[in-house]
Parts: sequence; C-alpha cells; structure tokens
Amino acid sequence: MESVTQKMDKEYRNTEDVQTDHILSKRLSKIIQTRIETDQEALDALKQLSTFYTENSLQARRNLRSQIEKRSLDINQQFLASFSEVKESFDIVYKDVAEMNDSIKDMTKRLHNSKIQTKQLLNISSQLQQERDHNISEQKILDALIGRFQLSPEDISVFQGSKKEFLMTNDIFAVLDKVQGIHDECKILMQYGLQTLALDIMEQMTLYQESALEKLYRWTQDHCRNVENSDLTDLITQAMARLQDRPVLFRYVIDEYNVCRRSKVTEDFINALTRGGPSGNPAPIEMRAHDSQIYVTDMLVWLNKAIVMEKHNLQLLMKHCDKVDVDNMVREALTVICEGLCQPLKMRVEKILNVPSQAPVLYSIVNLLRYYRKCISKVVNEGLVRETLANLQSLCENNFFGTLQQQVANKLVKVEAPPRDLSPTLAVTNLLAVLRDMLSTANMSEGREEDMAKITTCIMDPLLRAVNEQAARLPPTDMAVYMLNCIYEIYTCLELFEFMEERLERLAAQSDAQIDTLTSEQVSSLVANLNVGPIYTILQERNHGPLSELPGMEPSNLRSFLEKMCHLTTHPDALLLQQTNLLSSSKHKRVVQKRAFEVLLAIYRQVHVAVHDPSNGYDSPQLIFDKAPEELEKALL
Amino acid sequence: MSAGPYNYSYIFKYIIIGDMGVGKSCLLHQFTEKKFMADCPHTIGVEFGTRIIEVSGQKIKLQIWDTAGQERFRAVTRSYYRGAAGALMVYDITRRSTYNHLSSWLTDTRNLTNPSTVIFLIGNKCDLEGQRDVTYEEASKFAEENGLMFVEASAKTGDNVEEAFLETAKKIYQSIQDGRLDLNAAESGVQHKPSQPGRNNLSSDQQASKDNCAC
Ligand SMILES: Nc1nc2c(ncn2[C@@H]2O[C@H](COP(=O)(O)OP(=O)(O)OP(=O)(O)O)[C@@H](O)[C@H]2O)c(=O)[nH]1
Ligand SMILES: [Mg+2]
Repeated sequence: MESVTQKMDKEYRNTEDVQTDHILSKRLSKIIQTRIETDQEALDALKQLSTFYTENSLQARRNLRSQIEKRSLDINQQFLASFSEVKESFDIVYKDVAEMNDSIKDMTKRLHNSKIQTKQLLNISSQLQQERDHNISEQKILDALIGRFQLSPEDISVFQGSKKEFLMTNDIFAVLDKVQGIHDECKILMQYGLQTLALDIMEQMTLYQESALEKLYRWTQDHCRNVENSDLTDLITQAMARLQDRPVLFRYVIDEYNVCRRSKVTEDFINALTRGGPSGNPAPIEMRAHDSQIYVTDMLVWLNKAIVMEKHNLQLLMKHCDKVDVDNMVREALTVICEGLCQPLKMRVEKILNVPSQAPVLYSIVNLLRYYRKCISKVVNEGLVRETLANLQSLCENNFFGTLQQQVANKLVKVEAPPRDLSPTLAVTNLLAVLRDMLSTANMSEGREEDMAKITTCIMDPLLRAVNEQAARLPPTDMAVYMLNCIYEIYTCLELFEFMEERLERLAAQSDAQIDTLTSEQVSSLVANLNVGPIYTILQERNHGPLSELPGMEPSNLRSFLEKMCHLTTHPDALLLQQTNLLSSSKHKRVVQKRAFEVLLAIYRQVHVAVHDPSNGYDSPQLIFDKAPEELEKALL
Repeated sequence: MSAGPYNYSYIFKYIIIGDMGVGKSCLLHQFTEKKFMADCPHTIGVEFGTRIIEVSGQKIKLQIWDTAGQERFRAVTRSYYRGAAGALMVYDITRRSTYNHLSSWLTDTRNLTNPSTVIFLIGNKCDLEGQRDVTYEEASKFAEENGLMFVEASAKTGDNVEEAFLETAKKIYQSIQDGRLDLNAAESGVQHKPSQPGRNNLSSDQQASKDNCAC
C-alpha cells in the first residue's frame, strides 16, 4: 500500500515536472499501459482502501492521506506492539538458549574430561589385552613344550605302576619310544640355544629311561623262561629287543634264562626217563632199558628234539634283537642249557656199555651216536655236549671194536683141522658171515669207508692168520687147496663191498701163489700117471743118440703116452688130483687143469718133433703119433 | 700209500725171507709206512704189503710177501717163492744163528724161484752195533761168493731199508731191459701192466716144462 501511494506520488510529481516532460510522458504512458487489474499488489491495496474510504468526498479526499498515514501509524503501532511481544518471547527464548548454552558448555567440558579419562582406560585395557594375548601364547608354547618334551602322568604311571605292582603292557614300549624321541628332540632345543633346558630334559629322560628299562628288566628276568607262552611271547620278545641297549641287563636276562631252562630241560629229561609222559604216556624211556638199541635211540631222539626246541625258544626270545649276534648268543646259551643233559645220558650209555653186548648191537649204538651227534652238533657244537657226545662215541667205538676183536678171537681160540673136503671150517664161514653182516651195516653208515676198513682188518687179519695156521698143518697139495677154498670164500664175500681193492688185490695174489703150487702138484701127478717122467728126462739130455734105441723110448711106450693123452681128451677129470676136485671155485679148477694140460701138451709137442726127426730113427713116426699136437691141444683145452 | 690201480706200468713181486725175529715184518713196515713197529707179533703164514716206486721214470708197484720165519709155516710160505722177481733174504747181525741159516734159505730160494730172481741179502738191526755177532766183512764175502747184493740195514732207524728195496727193483728192471727176464713167464714175478691182462696162463712152454722139472 505504501508503494502504491509512493507510486502515485511519484507520478504526480512527474506530471508537475515540466522539464522532464518527455520522461513524464514516458511515465504516463507506462502508467496507462500498466494494467492495474493484473497488478495483484495494486489490487490488494485498492481492496484495502475500499474498506475505509467509503464516500468519495473532498473531505474525504483531503483526509485520505492522513487517514492512510494514521492507518499506517496504527498498523505500525500495532506492529510494534506485536513485535514487542515477539521480542519478549525472543528474549525469553534467548535467555533459555543462553542457559542451554551454558549447560551445554558445561556438559561439553565434562564430556571432554571424561573423554580424556576414557582414553587412559583404553590404553590400560589394551595394554592388558596385549599382555593377556602374550600370556596366552606363552601358555600355549609352554603347553606344547610340556606336551612334547615331558611325559604325561599316565605315561609315567605306565612304567612306575602303582606302589605294589608293576603291570606289564605294550604301553611301556610306546613310553620308551616317547622318552627316546624326547631325548632325541632335545638336540633341536640345543640348536635353538636352549642348552640348559635341553640338558635338563635329557637328563630327566635318561632317568625315566633307566627306570623304565629297570622295570622291564626285572619283569623280563622273571618271565623270560616262559617265552613260548603265547600270551607272553610278544611282550618278552619286545622287551628283549629293548634290553639290547643295556648289554649288562640283557646278559643277566639271558643268564637267568639259561639257568632256568637248564634245570627245566634236565628235569624233563629225567622225567621222560623215569616217569614218562602224563599218566605214563609215553612210557618212561627206562622201561625199555633192556633193549639197549631202543633205549639209546629213545634217549637220543628225546634229546635231539628237546635241544631243537630249546634252540627254537632261544630264537624266539631274541626274535627282535638286531643289535646283538643272535646266532652266537643262541649257540652259547644252548651250550649252557644242554649241559645238564650230559650227565644223565653219559651215565646211562656207560651203563649199557658195561654190560657185554653183541658186536652188531654195539655197532648200531655207535651209528646211533654218530647220527645224533651229527644232528645235535648242528645245533650245539660246543662245551660239555660236544665233549660228552664225542667221548661217548669214541667210547662206544672202542667198545665195539674191542668186542668184535674179542668175538673173533673167541671163535678162533682153537685151530680146527680143516674137514676132509678141504672146505673152509665152520669158524671161518661163521666169521665171514659176521664180516658180511657187519660190512653191510657199515656200508650204510656214516664214515663207512673208515669203518669198513677197520671192521675188515678186525676180522680179516685174525681170520687169515687162522687159515694160515690151519693150512700150515696140511701137506702141500691139501694146503694149497684149503687156502684157495678159504681165499675164494673170503674173496666172494669182500667182493660185494666197496673200498676192498687192496684186500682183494692181496687175496688175488695169494690165490695166484696157491694156484701155482697146486698146478705144480697137479703136473707132477699127471706126469707120474702118464709115465712121461722118464721120456721127458731123456729128451732134456744132450747127446743121447737116436732116441729109438733108448729104453723107455720104444714106439709102444710113446704110443701108450699118446693113448693116455687121448683118454684125457674124453675124460679130462680122470687124472685130476683128488684135491683139485675139491676146489670150490670151478674157475680155479679150470685154471689148474688147463695149466697142467698145457705142460703135457708141451712135452707131447717136444716128443712129436723128436719122433719125426729122422736122426732119431723111428720107422713110421705117423703110426706112433697119428695126432698132431694142435689136434690134441684143441681137444684138451 | 694206495694209488689208482693202473697208475703204474709194472708189478714186481718180492718175498722177504729169513729166520724168525730177524725183522722181516719191521723192514716191510718201515718201507711201506716209514714207521718202526717196536713190538711186532710173529708173522703167521704170510703178510702182504704194497708200495709204488719209481725206477728210471717208470712207476712200479711192489707186491711184497712178508713170510713167517717160523719153521712150521715153511710149507705155506714156499708157495710164494715161485712168482718172486725179488727175494730179500734177511738175517739179524746180532744173532749168528740167523746168519748161519742163510745157506739153507738160499738153497730154498734158488730151488723155488727162477734164475733171474734178484736175491738181496740184508743184515738187519745194524743199529745194535754193540751186540754185533756177524761182521760186515764176513757177510759181504758170503754175498759176493753167492752173487747176492748186500747191505746192512736197520728197520728201526730206517737206514738202508729204502735202498735195499729200490736197488732190488733197479736190478730187476735192468734185467727186463737187457731181455734177461721173460716178462711172459709166470714165474718172472713181473707183470707188465698195460699189455698183460692177467697172469693165469702159461704162455711159455719152455718155462712151464722147466717148472715141472723142478718138482
Ligand atoms: N733194534 C732193532 N730191533 C729190530 C729191528 N727190526 C726188528 N726189530 C725187532 O725185532 C723183533 C722181531 O721183528 P719182526 O719184524 O717181527 O721179525 P720177523 O722177521 O718178521 O719175525 P717172524 O714174523 O716171526 O718171522 C721185533 O721185536 C722188532 O722190534 C731193527 O732194525 N733194530
Ligand atoms: Mg714177521
């Protein structure tokens, strides 16, 4: 409204101002141009004006200004009053705000303070937190360290056991491994510079180890003898493997084992001998003591078996031992364990030998001893066992050869005269039967060559001496035949066996000598029978002149020589010595006969030549000797 | 001692003869075993020993018959003379009687063996010088007179034992070389191993006749 008046006022002044005519015109035109109906302000102002300017009178017009001014004043005053109220309100608000400001300031200050305090707390707490974290990790490390480098109480109880009893379980081996592992790992600690700790732990572990091994040792020593008990085998063998690291303890266990087993196996042997198995089955070995072969066999079989078992158990005991020479240990241990067996065996075998037995029985005992000695020596070949078996064997061998010698001597005590048929005497054939039997057995035994040689010597030497003694009392022909018959018998016996070459050679040579002797006797007898002695003697003489003129060389005489020779071709045995016919060997007989005939033929050949020699003056030689020597030879030989 | 049976080219047969107790068995034992048997029992009948020796590069097997000196075995021992190539005639230098009997031993030997048999006289026990009863000269003269080889030996110490056996073998071998010894004759006491399968046949009539004659 004010602006409208101002504007009107302005326009009024403008109209008055002449100088500024055209400005005025401009303004006027502007006003004219102004479209009041579109000017909201003007419209409002006019609307307002219409409220109080009701009558369009001069007065009214004159008063309008003042009226408007008055109205304006009123309004302003009204305005002022209203503003005063507002101002008052504002003042109150201001005051409040100021108060608030103060409060806030105070609060801010307090906040600030508390902020500072909180920060400190935070610092502390974060510090604590850090410490806590550190501690936790240290704790973890320590736990890990303890877990890794210390034994758990359970571990410790495994080998310490309760006060009263130590219970052996497989766990102890795990603990031992652990202890060893810890001990080994201490080296790592050392590398990280934790010398003291490492050394302490190591010392501690060593103590544990000692303590555990000590327990293990005591337990093993108590239980080792039962190693074959399947419940214990595993524990014992493992324990032995552990104890290897403590040679002294290991040795003690083995010693203990040996002592236990020695008395056990000895006791078992005595029981097997005297009591037999449970409820007498098998029967006690001694029950058959009357049959020394069976008795010795049973004992040796038992021993062999037991010794093999002992070896087996020892090997079982040391099954897991890889740091000791197990084979050697087993051997040594067996030597000790078996010692106790020697005396009972020795006593019994000696007792058997004290009773006179037949040589073949003794020989079979010798062979049993040899065989089992060999078997056993593969298992134990030292100490008392070896010595005992060797002694028993040689004792038995000596006994056997002594007995055999005695037996042979007994059979030959008196020199029997050979029978009329000049066959070997009963003593000779008997001894040869013994020899054959003994050699057949010896042939199948250990060391047969030596045995056979010894047995042969043992029998043959006295036998040949006896045959010589017998033969020496006979006339030469009988002697030769008897010798030949005996030698033949002996030869055929020895021929069956090996290693007899030298003996056979000797017998053959001896036989040759006797055949020579017999041949010589046989020839003499033939020559006498055929009455060719004088003929031959004459032939040998030099300067005998014509033979036909000599007595004894008559054609008839020579003719009868030939006839006798011819008779021989058809009856070759006719003129054989009675003794030659007694030869057991037909070969010997043939040889003697053939050689004797050869001599006759040689003489015939000489006479034949002489008869056909014209200087000897035979008229018709072919009438005397109508057979050529070759013809006769063919027929005779 | 024993060698393979065909490791030699000849077999020579020897006999050892002489009174009982002169040491025949000991000499044989010394020769085959190189050992002295202090108490040797009397020989009953005959004993036998072999050894392979070498003569002029030839291996020779000696088959030696050790005879009993006891009179009662004379018949038995005579069988072994026949085939001998060598005869060792032994006496005991400490016992004159054993020397005195030599001529009878020699006669036996000459009668029963063939002329080529080498006879070697051994005066045994020469280790017992203090008890000597027969001088070396005397025995040596006897040997010479009878065409025997001679040596004094000791079966105890082994002195000259080897020599006596070897010298005999050499002499026999020489006879073979000279052709004086007929290898084919059964009584030669020699077998030629490779060619001759056995000796059980008389291949020399001459020899056989002589043999017959000797009886
Ligand atoms: N000092 C000594 N003693 C000997 C010697 N040779 C043999 N003897 C001993 O003489 C004894 C007889 O020896 P033998 O060899 O048995 O005599 P042998 O000639 O075989 O006797 P027979 O068999 O009976 O003919 C034995 O006791 C021998 O110890 C020797 O060279 N020196
Ligand atoms: Mg003798």
